[in-house]
Amino acid sequence: MDLFFLSILFIASGGIFALLLWRRFTAMKAAGVLAIGAGCFLGLIDALSKLFNPGQVSFSITYLNGLSLSFKIDGLSAFFLVAIFAVSLLAAIYSFHYMDKPEKALRTAVNYLFFSLLIVSMALVVTAENMIAFMFSWEIMSLASFFLVIYDYQSPENRKAGYLYFVFSHVGAMFIFAAFGIMYGYTGSFGFTGALPETAKILVFILAFIGFGSKAGVFPFHVWLPHAHPAAPSHISAVMSGVMIKTGIYGIVRIYWVLDLHTPLFGEIVMIAGMVSGILGVVYALGQHDLKRLLAYHSVENIGIILIGIGIGMIGVSFNNPIMAVLGFAGGLLHVLNHAIFKSLLFMGAGAVIQKTGTRSIDALGGLLKNMKITGVTFLIGSLAISGLPPFNGFVSEFLVYLGGFQGLALDKTAFVLSLLAIVSLAVIGGLALACFTKVVGVVFQGEPRSAAAEDVNEKGPAMLVPMLVLAGACVVIGVFPRVFVLMALKGVESLGITSGPVSFAPFLQMTGNIALAVAVFFAVFLLIMVLRMVLYRGKTVGRSGTWGCGFTQPTVKMQYTGSSYAASILAFFRPVAPLHEDHPVIRGRFPDKTYYRSHVNDIAELHMGNVIVRPVLWLFDQLRWIQHGDIHLYIGYILLAIVVLLFFV
Amino acid sequence: MIKSIALWALAILLAPFFSAVILKVKAFFGGRKGSPLLINYYTLIKLFKKGSVYSTSTTFLFKLGPMVSLCAAITALMFLPIAGQPPIFSFSGDVIFILYLLGLGRFFTIVAAMDTASPFEGMGAAREAYFPIICEAATFMILILFYIFTGKLQLAAYFSGGHPLGLWQAAGSALLFVVISFFIILLTENSRVPVDDPATHLELTMIHEVMVLDHSGPDLGFIEMGSFCKLFFYATIVASLIFPFELGHPALNMGMFFVALLLVYVAVGVMESVMARYRMDRVPKFVLTSFALAFFATIITLEFVK
Repeated sequence: MDLFFLSILFIASGGIFALLLWRRFTAMKAAGVLAIGAGCFLGLIDALSKLFNPGQVSFSITYLNGLSLSFKIDGLSAFFLVAIFAVSLLAAIYSFHYMDKPEKALRTAVNYLFFSLLIVSMALVVTAENMIAFMFSWEIMSLASFFLVIYDYQSPENRKAGYLYFVFSHVGAMFIFAAFGIMYGYTGSFGFTGALPETAKILVFILAFIGFGSKAGVFPFHVWLPHAHPAAPSHISAVMSGVMIKTGIYGIVRIYWVLDLHTPLFGEIVMIAGMVSGILGVVYALGQHDLKRLLAYHSVENIGIILIGIGIGMIGVSFNNPIMAVLGFAGGLLHVLNHAIFKSLLFMGAGAVIQKTGTRSIDALGGLLKNMKITGVTFLIGSLAISGLPPFNGFVSEFLVYLGGFQGLALDKTAFVLSLLAIVSLAVIGGLALACFTKVVGVVFQGEPRSAAAEDVNEKGPAMLVPMLVLAGACVVIGVFPRVFVLMALKGVESLGITSGPVSFAPFLQMTGNIALAVAVFFAVFLLIMVLRMVLYRGKTVGRSGTWGCGFTQPTVKMQYTGSSYAASILAFFRPVAPLHEDHPVIRGRFPDKTYYRSHVNDIAELHMGNVIVRPVLWLFDQLRWIQHGDIHLYIGYILLAIVVLLFFV
Repeated sequence: MIKSIALWALAILLAPFFSAVILKVKAFFGGRKGSPLLINYYTLIKLFKKGSVYSTSTTFLFKLGPMVSLCAAITALMFLPIAGQPPIFSFSGDVIFILYLLGLGRFFTIVAAMDTASPFEGMGAAREAYFPIICEAATFMILILFYIFTGKLQLAAYFSGGHPLGLWQAAGSALLFVVISFFIILLTENSRVPVDDPATHLELTMIHEVMVLDHSGPDLGFIEMGSFCKLFFYATIVASLIFPFELGHPALNMGMFFVALLLVYVAVGVMESVMARYRMDRVPKFVLTSFALAFFATIITLEFVK
């Protein structure tokens, strides 16, 4: 436990150093990055050693004389700590060249302070052992990330995004408080103990699932996500999307472990939520024009895949099928790590693009690969990984989830139908993600620049490039040598104690061996083809010329297919869940005026949340307005009345 | 093992020949003599002898596209049991790996098309990204059915060994739906009529052909070779489903298999001759039919198996 707290201390000091040194811009950044980076590195080593050398460590302190804050690291915590520290380390390094505005020095320093607080609180959330410690860290995490989101507070759009996030994280926290309150009501202890009657357990799980789901971005509680991620600076988006939303997943798994109730209902809820989030997340992503909003919707999709995996695991547990249980949980957990890696890579790539071009609009970009080689290639690797294609890391976790899903086909009717739907949803999600990321890569990085902003860009700042290279490398390494990473996920699953006896890891590691073999075969064939191509092109004339325009001789870059047109036909297929709002004037006359076309995909959750929840609530409070009349005497009367009423209960 | 490798090599060698059969059938329906059955070999040799012209808009991805798509198709054939013989490699879950590997090939084909900045190629790419989504759902539906029958996720378990799946069994009635369903997937994934028209030169109506407009020389040869291998992969699965596997003698089995394979290719040719290409917005409905058939087959087998 000592090393863990030492790393926390380092990270926290990084934020404070940065704040103290704010007048010296470069020194401030260097101090912040070094201390945070060193702390994350220590924490990463500590988490890895604790993951592979099982044995729980716990630590507790007393706070305010009465409340004890206790922390414990078991396999599950250690697994999440690995993801948190690894991504935060790279994000801290990235920020050194990303935060490049000396005129905003104080704001940058404040950003480092909240960044360090965010990392510390995430680490404490996944290690908290009782409710007090958990909620304490959880609230710090929500508040720190809120201040990070409103970094650019001058823009009204960002303030709105921050406000939306603030509301969602606190309504979510309210649900978690309610769940913990029920637990406390039955057990009378703040510890995580699950000695409750069955119906109470189900209620606690559902409340906690809504609370944690709103942090994780489960549909329909994901509304804040596509607003908050584009508003935050890119390294913050990387951390928030890569790991912070995963604390919601951690919460769901932890509460499941605490309640220790093996009803298939939990698995069913989680799986259905996963499928809906997965498919709708990627459909909405396809309709976005803003690069970071698109990536934010992909977080909703990947949270869906993770939940499908965990749901399969839970169903496996309730049907006493250890293979299915381990496959589902291991696939889900590995996808947590994989998504942390490729999503932070993609956000960093998007950040680099936005910093160099000054625009987030996909349809204004193009041809960036020629001038931004490293960003382009690493972004391509991230895109392949997030589409779940071999030989990259996304495939490994999806493969495990698939295998788990096929196990479920042999169970009873409900489980059969859900497994069938899960398998088909995963296939559809995979296809849609491929469509979405070919759109991003094709429109942003390939072709010709669509606007002046995308011309003459260059690539600078090694501190931004190195983290992207490391993450892209990780995507390939996990895809090609999955063994040790699957073992990490299995260690995390082992600590859940979901199976009655010890589970042999051998058959699961055998599967990863198969993937490694198949990938090796693929690379061998690829090498042969490459040699063949070199032989075929030896001594040939290779010319360069313009793209063949099918006889048309005056092409302009504006004729290129845009992201909107690329996605249009797929979106038309999903029209009922993704209504497309189009706006363009009718073209009249032989010499029409300049015209425009705008399109916007409506998120049905956002649309209906306004109509179904926000409006009735506003109406209700409007009706209660008479209570607040401004008469001070009556206010004092309210206080007295409240005290008198409370006296009856205490 | 050696037999499997020999069959794999044979598959790669014969794939262009079988694709030429389709052309011959179409020529027959058109009342023409048609090009010789070895036409595809001549085309490949011609392309391999040439140099290339690259668009100034393209990057290295344009050259990577053909290599990856060919590599994916050839690797997929290594996992495919041909004529009831075990494949070179096989493991539990290999079907998923192969489907995703073909997805990787598709990713790179699309990316290579987007590299040219051509609006036509972008249009083709958008369609290439769209239709396979439904195909994938249908393919996984079929996998679910196969899993119910065999309890395995392995191509080798479906089409080789002691109890291969086939139309001429008790469960054959359900497999009849699968044959039709998979045939639709074959037509879609391999850009054949009525989804796409490999013969047309009207860029606006094409999917796959328009995506390779800018490729030339050996690169184009790789793409052609890749699509021959991919078609061979799908056609072999359909052939394995309709082929009974019970002639006793290995040589007879082999012969029977190739006759069935030829039948599949002829069927593709007949389809192309008697049908027109669908309007683009009709295609999803056609592809969804394959999903519906596979789903229906799964539902009716549920009671069967119990």
